[in-house]
Amino acid sequence: MKSIIQATVAILVASALLLYGVSVLEKSSATTGGGSITVYNWGEYIDPELVQQFEDETNINVVYETFDSNEAMMTKIEQGGTSYDVAMPSEYAIEKMKENDLLIPIDHEKIPNLKNIDPYFLDLPFDPGNEYSIPYFWGTVGIAYNPTLLEGQTFESWDDLWDPTLKQEVILVDSAREVIGMGLNSLGYSLNSTDVSELREATDKLKTLGPNTKAIIGDEIVEMMRREEAAVALTWSGQAADMMWINENIDYSVPEEGSNLWFDNMVIPKTSSNVEGAHAFINFMLGAETAAQNADYVGYSTPNQAAIEIMDPEVTGDERFYPPEELREHLEVYENLGLEMLGIYNELFLEFKMDMEN
Amino acid sequence: MEKLSKKAKVYLALVFFILYAPIFYLIFYSFNSGGTMSNFDGFTMEHYAAVFNDTRLLIILMNTVIIALLSSLISTAIGVLGAIGIVFLRNRKMRNAVLSLNNILIVSPDVIIGASFLILFTMIGVKLGFASVLISHIAFSIPIVVIMVLPKLQEMSSTLIDAAADLGATKRDILTRVIIPYIKPGIFAGFFLALTYSLDDFAVTFFVTGNGFSTLSVEIYSMARAGITLTINALSALIFVITLGLVVGYYFFNQRARNSIGTGGH
Repeated sequence: MKSIIQATVAILVASALLLYGVSVLEKSSATTGGGSITVYNWGEYIDPELVQQFEDETNINVVYETFDSNEAMMTKIEQGGTSYDVAMPSEYAIEKMKENDLLIPIDHEKIPNLKNIDPYFLDLPFDPGNEYSIPYFWGTVGIAYNPTLLEGQTFESWDDLWDPTLKQEVILVDSAREVIGMGLNSLGYSLNSTDVSELREATDKLKTLGPNTKAIIGDEIVEMMRREEAAVALTWSGQAADMMWINENIDYSVPEEGSNLWFDNMVIPKTSSNVEGAHAFINFMLGAETAAQNADYVGYSTPNQAAIEIMDPEVTGDERFYPPEELREHLEVYENLGLEMLGIYNELFLEFKMDMEN
Repeated sequence: MEKLSKKAKVYLALVFFILYAPIFYLIFYSFNSGGTMSNFDGFTMEHYAAVFNDTRLLIILMNTVIIALLSSLISTAIGVLGAIGIVFLRNRKMRNAVLSLNNILIVSPDVIIGASFLILFTMIGVKLGFASVLISHIAFSIPIVVIMVLPKLQEMSSTLIDAAADLGATKRDILTRVIIPYIKPGIFAGFFLALTYSLDDFAVTFFVTGNGFSTLSVEIYSMARAGITLTINALSALIFVITLGLVVGYYFFNQRARNSIGTGGH
């Protein structure tokens, strides 16, 4: 009995010491006076120095939390019990959150830095007039490839993926809309197509890609490409930038038939308990210098015109990641196709994957 | 004990090698200055420095440990009493029913437990954070403690209790001076198992964290989108070393206790 009491006391003392340690650490990083906001963002998707700077400037304490998928984030917000003040969903998630009445309209008067954003990225179909969302980062879907492992193939067209010399060399991202969209684009159709016969045709064409497909995977793509285990990958521009950061041999291209243009935007969820603070945070992130520093850290493309002007021209002049407007013309933003249509996309994608196994 | 044959030794070594290789692979790359897990460029301690400079990560680490310690302590207390209650149930059918209910909680998927906690907490208005995580960890640890303590209780002869009662022990004495000392190894085993369950639980914790409160497993999972940095390797290495220290410490503590019983008995 004695040893159990001793152990209990030891555990309680250890917990108390740790609790004290946490409160000391929290005090050293927290600033008091301006209240606090909770930011809910993707992992590794902000420069932590900027959070500190925001705290110092405004006296608002930032509680920072991360999520790993739009779906997880929406579930957490929908259930309540938390008070997230700012979140960064992708465009299709914003549409869904709007439908489910999970967002608070953004007061543009409190975001003077909105003028820094390139008008091209404002007033998009998923949020007309930017009533609920402000652009954070953007990018494209394209082909990352490693010329040192290839025999001079280039990827100006989606059809180049069907090149018979690429046997077992192509990785596809495990996502229905990206892969089916690629099939549609390669046939010259819109990647928002709701025409079942077009979708059928795209799936049948994708099936002929089977011999070239090495794997259909998720985030592991980055690591596989870095290690040169595969030569070609269908992926997002941000992931391609991640690969190139480590392996300089890798190149990225967006085929000319068209592709997807995506956005991650900042929104204020209904759960917000400090709407003022949330506006202040969004406005801060849109500042020219902060946005430039953030884009340098994260490596994705910023929609902030004022930031682009002060960033390294070598980065912002890179047409692979900052395609000029005429190249963007053939890019499409995903539209919310509704549950039924998405079901068809998923079913066809499954059919394509099943076919792969034979 | 019979001596192991050569083949058995080789087999044993191979199994341990396979079990430990990934951990040492991970620790090895925590010293890599190259920034990835693919090629080793040179030795550096910078990832360890990064762990101690990242206040947020440190707070999360400490919170994870606090939750683990407190939840396993409380669940051990509840679980031990529960196990004693189950063993002394007179009605056989009833006892089996209660035991089955306990076992269902162990085998039911974490995702379901987590989701149901999320619904419960939001319904009764508990704010997600420290309290919600602690309560849910206690809840999923209790059945584990019960299972660990039960065999010890069943193996205890009921005559021991009768003898104690004959010698004038009160109910309280029987509990604290007969039953608990007898099942002590089971209690410690239950506690340590609950501790490890709490430390690495992802599924349940994911649902009930919120308002800035997070644990290590949830945090690492969220980082996966942008690629896990070597800081996580360094942190994992530190945790591995600390765990190793605890196990070695526990071993010596046990050894000494056993020796003192051995000499005291003569």
